[in-house]
Amino acid sequence: MTFEIDPDAPEQIVRRDFLKRLSAAGAAALMSGTPRLLQASEPGLVKHPEATADSCILLWMGGGMAAPDTFDPKRYLPFKKGLKVADMLSTFPAIPTAVDGLQICEGLEGIASVMDRATLIRSAVQPDLGSILHSRHQYHWHTGYVPPQTVAAPHLGAWMARVAGPRNPVMPAFINIGQRLEGVGESEELKAFTTAGFFGSEYGPLNLPYPEEAARSVRPPQGMTGERFVNRNKLYRRLIDQSPQRDLMSDYHQESMLRSMDKAYRLLSSKERDAFDITLEPEEKRQKYDTGRFGRGCLLARRLVESGARFVEVTTEYVPFLHWDTHAEGHTTVDRMHKEIDAPVTQLILDLEERGLLDRTLVIIASEFSRDALMEGQPGSNANDQAREKVDEVAEMKHYGLHRHFTGGTSVVMFGGGMKRGFVYGKTADERPLMAIENPVSIENLHATIMTAMGISPKTGFDIEGRPFYVTKDAKGEAVQELFT
Amino acid sequence: MKSRYLFPMLVVFLVDMMSPVQAAPIDFAHEVVPILKKHCTSCHGGREAKGSFSLNTRELWLESGFVDPKDAKASYVLELVTSSDPEMQMPPKGKPRLSAKEVAILKQWISDDLPWEAGFSFGVVAYEPPLKPRRPALPPAEDCRTHPIDRLIDQYLSQHKIPRPGPIDDATFLRRVHLDLVGLLPSPEELATFLADPCPEKRTLKIRELLADDTAYADHWLSFFNDLLRNDYSGTGFITGGRKQVSGWLYESLLYNKPFDQLTRELIAPPSDASRGFIDGIKWRGNVSAGQTVEIQFAQSLGQAFLGINLKCASCHDSFIDRWTLDESYGLAAIYSERELEIHRCDKPIGKTAQASWLFPEIGTIDASAPREARLQQLAALMTHPENGRFTRTIVNRLWHRLMGRGIVHPLDVMQTKPWNEDLLDYLAVALTDHKYDLKQMLELIATSEAYQSQVEIVEGTESSDYVYRGPRSRRLTAEQFLDGVWQLTGAAPDKFDAPVFRTKVEQGGAPELDLTAQWIWGDSAKETPPSDETIVVRKIIELPSAVKRGGAVLTCDNSHILFINRREVDRGENWSQVRTLPLHTLLKPGKNDITAVVKNGGKGPNPAGFFFEARLELENGEQISLVSDETWEWNPDAPATREGRLGGIKGKWNPVTIVKPVGSWTAAVDAQAKSLLAVAAEGKRPMIRASLLKNTALMKSLGRPMREQIVSMRPSQLTTLEAIDLSNEASLAEAFANGAKRLIEQADGDPKCLTEYLFQFALSRSPTPAESELVGQMLGETPEPAEVEDLLWSVCMLPEFFLIR
Repeated sequence: MTFEIDPDAPEQIVRRDFLKRLSAAGAAALMSGTPRLLQASEPGLVKHPEATADSCILLWMGGGMAAPDTFDPKRYLPFKKGLKVADMLSTFPAIPTAVDGLQICEGLEGIASVMDRATLIRSAVQPDLGSILHSRHQYHWHTGYVPPQTVAAPHLGAWMARVAGPRNPVMPAFINIGQRLEGVGESEELKAFTTAGFFGSEYGPLNLPYPEEAARSVRPPQGMTGERFVNRNKLYRRLIDQSPQRDLMSDYHQESMLRSMDKAYRLLSSKERDAFDITLEPEEKRQKYDTGRFGRGCLLARRLVESGARFVEVTTEYVPFLHWDTHAEGHTTVDRMHKEIDAPVTQLILDLEERGLLDRTLVIIASEFSRDALMEGQPGSNANDQAREKVDEVAEMKHYGLHRHFTGGTSVVMFGGGMKRGFVYGKTADERPLMAIENPVSIENLHATIMTAMGISPKTGFDIEGRPFYVTKDAKGEAVQELFT
Repeated sequence: MKSRYLFPMLVVFLVDMMSPVQAAPIDFAHEVVPILKKHCTSCHGGREAKGSFSLNTRELWLESGFVDPKDAKASYVLELVTSSDPEMQMPPKGKPRLSAKEVAILKQWISDDLPWEAGFSFGVVAYEPPLKPRRPALPPAEDCRTHPIDRLIDQYLSQHKIPRPGPIDDATFLRRVHLDLVGLLPSPEELATFLADPCPEKRTLKIRELLADDTAYADHWLSFFNDLLRNDYSGTGFITGGRKQVSGWLYESLLYNKPFDQLTRELIAPPSDASRGFIDGIKWRGNVSAGQTVEIQFAQSLGQAFLGINLKCASCHDSFIDRWTLDESYGLAAIYSERELEIHRCDKPIGKTAQASWLFPEIGTIDASAPREARLQQLAALMTHPENGRFTRTIVNRLWHRLMGRGIVHPLDVMQTKPWNEDLLDYLAVALTDHKYDLKQMLELIATSEAYQSQVEIVEGTESSDYVYRGPRSRRLTAEQFLDGVWQLTGAAPDKFDAPVFRTKVEQGGAPELDLTAQWIWGDSAKETPPSDETIVVRKIIELPSAVKRGGAVLTCDNSHILFINRREVDRGENWSQVRTLPLHTLLKPGKNDITAVVKNGGKGPNPAGFFFEARLELENGEQISLVSDETWEWNPDAPATREGRLGGIKGKWNPVTIVKPVGSWTAAVDAQAKSLLAVAAEGKRPMIRASLLKNTALMKSLGRPMREQIVSMRPSQLTTLEAIDLSNEASLAEAFANGAKRLIEQADGDPKCLTEYLFQFALSRSPTPAESELVGQMLGETPEPAEVEDLLWSVCMLPEFFLIR
């Protein structure tokens, strides 16, 4: 497997220089604040695994997608006044899928029809972090580390951007679709992990909260014609050539600056920027995706991957108490969420397959944890009960649903990218607590699996402030080999 | 030289995905080192090498012949540690043996080919910096360069046979010193006046003038301290009350140039809640691992910010990279801790309780049995002890870095490193003490040197490993400096800011004062005399037609209050004789606002009680509003619970308050302070709003402003691609350039020459060269169009010359 990087990118210079300095210096240089890839000249080498995927699309079900109401149906009891909350496990009946003997929940008929392209993990587990703060669990899921941290932990997209690099040099390697980072609850906490952390902003996300406006992010400023944009750049380059100061500045400043400005100019005037414009998609196709922002985000993700994006996250968006974050009205809300995700996810898989991209694109559906009607956290947790209405019996529709956060067992779906097809891994109990009782998969091992598929060793580490920092915590993540074809 | 300025083509290299990186099949640092330290290093590590065996480095291991990575189990060292022969066994007879698990780890480590931490050695650290201050003898002045810094540096340059960097001209000086001291570009008018000024002392006078601009100075240095103290107006932790700003206190400290030792003491042992946020750290909701508790954060933040010591390693295990140990980190943490602190090694308890102590017992010790407040005060005193040269060296090194582009010790947070000029560092450190920790005087000392006023070193290619001083280094504008500069050029600064600070000094005497109209209020008990310890709630619901542009409140309560705005705690007062001020522009919103105070009477037996609140607001729609405690307020006897800084539900019935006739001492306190404080709160003076006062934005973040979740003392020096994309098309920036263009045309009356001259003078502090004039002239033609000027403005602001402090 090969990939392309710009060998003169600033960080490469820094690194080369750093390694040089390091060999001479030692401890002091270790702590300069610049992350350093732990050295290849050291003993104990492992090789990066051979990648089974070139791109990764993470479909993020922010807010806690209830496994029993989506991919892991349990005993179903329909809405009825007087229904005991303690008896409630699933609020949707099970339906068959394209895989014999595999059932998922009603409302996901489209996805059911493509489950023969999927590996379904039903035993993903999260540690008990005590009182639930969604964004804290999301931070953990996205970085592999529980906040707060002494150094800023990079998002898994940033790891891919840093280690695997961009697939296409003009296409940002890490693109984040659908999550607003201003004006929504917990936005500061969301920002804390939506970052390249200590890798620096070069590897950080290009944030596209509104898929329909994505094209604007890679266009010349609004109102500026292409011709004017070209002329502006010409003027700029001439001014640089004319500058009486040009020989009076240090290379490391000037060259990195000019190189970055040039790269930006190239993207903003490249053909790849069309990938960001979902209005260029045929109307008929667009409608298949358009269930809302998430659906449009899936379409955008497909276009970006086609144009060489490395990592794209599309979220149903985490907003406290909205979408998957059902503290009340759970059943009604999940019914709506089914409608929002079913068609676009299905279409994404079919489109990738039709284009011959699914084999080399890893599509993941995941969430920070599951939900349960009764149990908060997991057995033994000190998490507060955060259900809106604490009732023992369902008196009206708003009581019907899974209104508590459950961390003991949840589902992750993976399509393509070297994963088995029509395969189920792990199992949760059929009665409460619905704990993972077979082949539990920790966040570390899940990350190790994803990174391995992307051709990145789970033991890849960088030295930051003298401390080794690995892509999976303490380099302990092990890929779940059974999932690979 | 030309080729350096051609845009490099994007060469696409194919890199084999199989390129090896280091793995941690076994974790040397966390698994192997502890075993060796526990059992082996006392005889075979550091200076000890019993039996001629030293295990200090991996090379020594391999040379010893004791290990055989190809056949690990045949390694002699394993034979030694598992042997039951008392003559042969290691550790020797009488010492505890290795457990089976430890042996297994060693074995795996050997068969993994002895993975090692790059640069790590069990040997003693070569350099231990001096702790105490030292006053170096100043060498004689060369060529009449009598400034102490120049005497030291000239000697250094002579010794290293390095030519002295040439002096800079007045224009370069003015731009540099402006950006360095107050973070702004000098205006063309100021530049012209300065260039025309014949006074030989004009540079020194300019330095003093800039430092005397208290608001501009505070606006600028606020970012430096926010980075250092990881203080911000938004960020993680605020949502659950797990984090507090120190912004108001910090800004005031800068505005009044509080001596750095006092500032530090107020951070370590806060005299009020206003400066508490630093030591309290960031607390997320939920359980936290041992290495991330607020106590450990306290130790880490303190070590890094004030001593340049990185305790992040040593808060998990004894550091491998410097001399700090787990016990020392926990000792520092225990000063802060209100509970027994069990020492955890890599998150596992080791059955030992931390004893409050500090890192340099040679200066003095902490009384571990003293209560927490006393321990913090002891620590504050030790930190700022005149004999603690580490403290002064750390801060002067940071200031030197800001003005000269590179630390005397570098990186700044590794003060354990040898400086490139010990005399210089030591001199600056004692000078700070001599000047009573006055940071402005330290900045003046550096800025008045010939060294500061000399040409920057031009680094060709990448930097070599051994730093030698050849002159100051140019620096990239920070996110805040860049935006402030663009706003100066375009007039596009926002008209509202987020920092809860007052930017105006309360002038001594002759201060503007506002008349007070608020009344003292309380509940029904004030019809008689309120009982001691009575706690009630008073509130006012107001409807605002638009957002608050500026304004603030003064308030106090006999005996104490907690104020909530929109059910969030925003102020606490424990001492009624100290009138408090509160900026309101960030707290009130358009529409309904709930102002509620939980107020408490004190004393023993019934005594007067009253709450006083007066605010002046200017709304965004231009309306001026006064908001005062009066008979329209309501009170309620049911004091609610609060959780995570939020007001709980209040059940009881609301009734109109009782107006309380103020006692003499109340009136005296309010008259003495509140009138002038309110004038400040209402903010008469309105200098340009600066980027440092705004919450972090996506644009600033991409320009390198840190998130301040961790302490960041050095910002990135290079421009990244995502940043360049933002610079090329970010909406607010594009709008600023568009508006700026119109303004420039107006200002120049449409004359292209005049416009170009003004723009170059302002942005670059120089006139355009003939070649530049011609180029720009061709583009603009006779009557410049806004779009053309906008593109010119953008291009000039994107020049490396604009982006650098040269």
